[in-house]
Amino acid sequence: MSRLFFREALCRAMAEEMERDSRVILMGQDIAAHGGSYAETRGLFERFGPARVRNTPVAEAVTVGLAAGAAAAGLRPLAFITYLDFLMLGLDALVNYAAKLRFKSAGQLTSPMVVKATAGAKGQGPTHAQSLEPWLMNVPGLTVLAPSTAGDAYGMLKTALRAPGPVVFIDHKKLFPRGGSVPDTEELVPVGSAAIRREGKHLTIVAHSYMSVLALEAATALAAEGIEAEVIDLRSLAPIDWETLTTSARRTGHALFVEEGQVVCGVGAELAFGLRERLSSLRVARLGAKRAPVAPSPVLESFIVPDAKDIEQSARDLLLANVKNGTHRTGKEET
Amino acid sequence: MVLLRSFEAALLRQPKPGFQLLSRGEEAIAVGICAALQRKDPFLCSGRSIGPALARGVPPGGLLAELIGKDGGPNRGRAGRAHVSMPSVGLFGAHGVVGGNLTVAAGVALAQQQLGTGAVALCLFGDGACGSGTLHETLNIAALWRLPLVLACDNNGYAVSTAVRDAIAAPRLTDLAAPFGIPASAVDGTDVDAVAAAVGEAVEGARAGRGPWFLELQCARMAPHSTLTREERPPAEVEELRGHDPITLYEKRLRAEGILSDALWAGLMAEVDAEVAEAERFALAAVWPDPEAAMLDV
Ligand SMILES: Cc1ncc(C[n+]2csc(CCOP(=O)(O)OP(=O)(O)O)c2C)c(N)n1
Ligand SMILES: [Mg+2]
Repeated sequence: MSRLFFREALCRAMAEEMERDSRVILMGQDIAAHGGSYAETRGLFERFGPARVRNTPVAEAVTVGLAAGAAAAGLRPLAFITYLDFLMLGLDALVNYAAKLRFKSAGQLTSPMVVKATAGAKGQGPTHAQSLEPWLMNVPGLTVLAPSTAGDAYGMLKTALRAPGPVVFIDHKKLFPRGGSVPDTEELVPVGSAAIRREGKHLTIVAHSYMSVLALEAATALAAEGIEAEVIDLRSLAPIDWETLTTSARRTGHALFVEEGQVVCGVGAELAFGLRERLSSLRVARLGAKRAPVAPSPVLESFIVPDAKDIEQSARDLLLANVKNGTHRTGKEET
Repeated sequence: MVLLRSFEAALLRQPKPGFQLLSRGEEAIAVGICAALQRKDPFLCSGRSIGPALARGVPPGGLLAELIGKDGGPNRGRAGRAHVSMPSVGLFGAHGVVGGNLTVAAGVALAQQQLGTGAVALCLFGDGACGSGTLHETLNIAALWRLPLVLACDNNGYAVSTAVRDAIAAPRLTDLAAPFGIPASAVDGTDVDAVAAAVGEAVEGARAGRGPWFLELQCARMAPHSTLTREERPPAEVEELRGHDPITLYEKRLRAEGILSDALWAGLMAEVDAEVAEAERFALAAVWPDPEAAMLDV
């Protein structure tokens, strides 16, 4: 194991995959000599040269389209979108072309591309902050991955670069400077596998990306009150690891879904519904951003976006609602 | 111009969310444009909005409060520099998405045409936006519909780390307007009088019903891309930029022409210092927004 920053883990995954497969190319704004907007491509331009590490103009529509077409014609492009918000400009090629290509060509063509896009609020206001994962989960044919640790950043980006695609790989501004252990040998994280980050018996907290970090913080605080939360890091938003989720939720009887973005038609809405189909007496709650765009003012941003304290409170409320309803706190017998 | 420069120096002294995009070196563009616009002409700009907002007449104290995230500014902490707007002074709005304001500006121009307001929309955008499809779509429809729209490109040489020549295939940015039959001119964007004259000609042409106009305003970004970005240009290149400082250039010229005396200059500086100090006092005294206010106007 080595300790790497999240951004370094991404860089190592890209370097290894580029070494392994000459079809892997990188395209995006400021990824060449500049080394990436988050310093995540540092050294790759020097190592692999301008044909494989390509700076693009500020032109997301053509960047995603280039990746989609190049992938369909034999390359394995990784397109960088500095802010997930700007993936909107490239959605046509991603959603109307790449995601439907295998289907509409009856399997003759595929588009094994990866779009790496950065989500999350960090003081930059309404169009540099959005977490739009549910939009992408909604599209048949798209794989959506969102790691929260350096180790997963490494293992999942490698997986993405070998997947049949298209894959949207979502990271988060607040994750890049975080450190974590990364295996020294090659370890891929399979698509569709969630990770149990902490075991607990009273409730299951399901989160992804930076919210997994906060969910763990919340679980630590809750433990001091005697509430044992199981924390599941989704990692793969499409497809979803229903088995891990169901097994945990069956045991705890309570599931709290946490996401940074909007809850309307959100990740939690989808997961809660899917789990209730499997576990009809499961008690569920969801937590996400307030129903407002993200403001740059620190006061407004922290009100809008959930933090660890909000997660703790939602967990208490979920369990308490149960007590009020006269059922047992752990809810074990409900299943 | 001096106010814009000092204001940004004051801003750097404050703790602020996210990052800021400074207008240092690009003041003549903001001031020249606003000198040529009438109050009723909607002005739209990119996320490099601080100079343009001040030049358009957003009160410095309010703007500083906005940038810090306090409640005293025009957008109550929801906009920051990327989206600041104050339509009452003619700042229709900044837009933090590169090229994002271009299509919108065409719509704003359409409304002026249709409503017969006699106003002209002006959109200021960076060279970075010239590689995006929205510019070309906007140029086409603006020409087709003869919209009262001035597209003013602030060519500061770079989009973050990418030089214009590495991003735009056309030898000259003004070439981009040619296929659409849109008149285009390149102007020294460090010369405030030249900018005002060129923008004046374009705006009055559009007002007279002659359709859109494309301007390339050439200048140098004197600071790194943002307050969070490191300077990557070679020191010699950055040093060379001092020669393109619009304030120094204008000061020299006015002195040479005998218009500016030491006393006048000192008086001007004192005025600006007082105005910036007042802005700082205002912003520091401003309250933080009530968190619940986040739910208003959604
Ligand atoms: C659609 C979009 N892509 C990427 C960005 C990130 N970004 C912010 S400013 C900037 C550079 C823009 O360059 P230019 O248009 O020349 O304006 P300048 O910064 O030089 O004023 C970039 C790429 C963005 N804001 N919007
Ligand atoms: Mg520029």
